Amino acid sequence: MKTMKVLLEDHEIPRQWYNIQADLPTPLRPPLHPATGKPVGPEDLAPIFPMNLIEQEVSSERWIDIPEEVLEKYLIWRPTPLCRARNFEKLLDAPVKIYYKMEGNSPAGSHKPNTAIPQAYYNKVAGVKHLSTETGAGQWGSALSMACQMFGLGCRVFMVKVSYEQKPYRRMMMNVWGAECIPSPSNLTEAGRNVLAEHPDSPGSLGIAISEAIEDAVSHPNAKYSLGSVLNHVMLHQTIIGLEAQKQMEKIGVYPDVVMGCAGGGSNFAGISLPYVRDKIHGKEVKIVGAEPTSCPTLTRGPFAYDFGDLAKMTPLLPMYTLGHDYVPAPIHAGGLRYHGMAPIVSHLVKENLVEARAYHQLDTFEAGVMWARSEGFIPAPETDHVIAAVVDEARRAKEEGKEKVILFNWSGHGMVDLASYDAYLTGKLIPYELPDEEIARALRAIEGFPKP
Amino acid sequence: MIEKNAYGSMEIRCPKLGHELTFAYCCREAGDLPCARIIRCWESFFPVESFLRETLDAGIWDAFCRQATPDKMTTLLDLIEKAKARRRADRT
Repeated sequence: MKTMKVLLEDHEIPRQWYNIQADLPTPLRPPLHPATGKPVGPEDLAPIFPMNLIEQEVSSERWIDIPEEVLEKYLIWRPTPLCRARNFEKLLDAPVKIYYKMEGNSPAGSHKPNTAIPQAYYNKVAGVKHLSTETGAGQWGSALSMACQMFGLGCRVFMVKVSYEQKPYRRMMMNVWGAECIPSPSNLTEAGRNVLAEHPDSPGSLGIAISEAIEDAVSHPNAKYSLGSVLNHVMLHQTIIGLEAQKQMEKIGVYPDVVMGCAGGGSNFAGISLPYVRDKIHGKEVKIVGAEPTSCPTLTRGPFAYDFGDLAKMTPLLPMYTLGHDYVPAPIHAGGLRYHGMAPIVSHLVKENLVEARAYHQLDTFEAGVMWARSEGFIPAPETDHVIAAVVDEARRAKEEGKEKVILFNWSGHGMVDLASYDAYLTGKLIPYELPDEEIARALRAIEGFPKP
Repeated sequence: MIEKNAYGSMEIRCPKLGHELTFAYCCREAGDLPCARIIRCWESFFPVESFLRETLDAGIWDAFCRQATPDKMTTLLDLIEKAKARRRADRT
């Protein structure tokens, strides 16, 4: 019988997270505060995060102990299996061995609890009684709700009202886990009340929800805010994924040629890849690939530069892969992609040529996701489809090159609460799009004179 | 003359929220203004730019062209400052 899964015993779970900042060839540049132009310091973040998490945010210690209380919770579903996708391999008919970390088997269905649990724990030991956050479809909100319940914290999730009404299942999950899930805008905050005064029937937005969550945290004693992506401590907590994978692959005497993850907000990609980036820094031959959508081509098409976060140039100059702060889609100077910064750690690694980014059309990602579901059974989250498309691409490259490859990727979440997205794909509602080169060249002229990191 | 609700019921997967939404939502995502991503998200489906130019008031169109959506860290810092200022105002 062929092996399909590599498991770790509970006692084999890694006891430390890995902090890439200790091994970076050049240090990560801090974001600059919009008001002062100076690097953001711990005191700037103290109103919304406890000091123990801020210390992790700025730490350069290579290994950070995972508290026993966090390990006990991780053990509910961790270590996650390292699986071999033999059926998918057969379908691709390429000289590749495909391994994936099954992160969709967490109680919340994704990798998000890997950081939700330690964040709840560190807030608890810092004396915090209550956490606030915002959520769209609810993946992060549900993970944090579960984590807060585990550590006896109150949890208030401001869920964008249109999501609250259209995506009830994760809201129900939050309620089951004892969190207060509030449709945003709400009457609980001044930010919400202001919106409702002007637009009583507002369907809400992520921007309004984050305003409410932060106001809620800052306005209440013993309350803090929690974020599930972008920040360094979030990436740190997610390294449990790659650290487990290293142990599992060592058990079967295999080392990956390619490590891949979806690079949306950065956390699941960082989770699988950072321990391998360490290996690469120390001379190991491994290719590390982040997959992103073509509708967000920051890593693949933009240079690494200091840039403003907005057109008004009021925001900090952040070192990031950027298409320029006035980047707007053709053919006019309006709207378009404004979340043009990647998680700083991931941006930095691309700049250092330690990580490669590839972009995939939306249609290709869903096609890959459906191929996966029809061969391996599990239905991936739409975000996970991006890395599966990258795996398909890598397998085709291997076939063309006639080269055998071992691929490892992060299967970051299941799509059982996202079936409407598959329905949209299967009924032909989704259309591919790729930004023209001339449009990118035009956008980049806006940052020609800016300092280069 | 384009009818204002011509595309209102069309659906798309919203990359910000992670689920399907109608064009009508995108047109009011930012309060009085359309979502900053509306053209990028919809231009493959229909001529959304000319639709907006024709159906939005000139002032709304202008404000839409100038609106900004910063990255997450910037948003956090900005909102912290606003929340602190609000607390100070409440105390006085």
